[in-house]
Amino acid sequence: MKNRLKEMRAEREWSQSELAGQLGVSRQTVNAIETGKYDPSLPLAFKISLLFQQPIEQIFVPET
Amino acid sequence: MRRALRSFELNAWLAVTTAVYLATLFLVRHHPDWSPWLKLTLTLTPILPGLLYLRNGLQVLQGMDELQRRIQLEGWLFAALGTVVVSTIINVVNLHGLGGDWLPHGLAVGGTYLTMFILWCAGVTIANCRYR
Repeated sequence: MKNRLKEMRAEREWSQSELAGQLGVSRQTVNAIETGKYDPSLPLAFKISLLFQQPIEQIFVPET
Repeated sequence: MRRALRSFELNAWLAVTTAVYLATLFLVRHHPDWSPWLKLTLTLTPILPGLLYLRNGLQVLQGMDELQRRIQLEGWLFAALGTVVVSTIINVVNLHGLGGDWLPHGLAVGGTYLTMFILWCAGVTIANCRYR
């Protein structure tokens, strides 16, 4: 699963730690999602969607 | 703060379980004249704090960040499967009479816990590297 998390975080000039704090997860989790090593759970994906005010499908894109 | 408290509680239950186990072991060994029922009850007593330790462990797991929880579960799975493999290898080697005096009865309780602990450390390290 590809995602635009890094790009969206950079637009807001947030560090990984700041984003992790807002999502209530560890910095390692944010880093693993950004690098595509870990796909978040549905509740966390909704949290990310709500935080960035964008639909999930615009943040997470399935790899074809 | 809450996480630290849970962690402390978890370690405290482990200490209580170990202390109760050692105390009951001492009592049962030094009082062979006691009734079998009393000795059986004493022998099984450490299960109670052990269960509370397990319950606390599950609460700690539930309170974890989702990636950390996944890493822990992968670590435990690695440890459990690895212990089965190690135990099977030792038993097969012994079955063919190739083991000599080395672990003639396979992994005992202590050996099983030690193997699981070592493999859990390895499993968590591997999982951590994968998600780094």
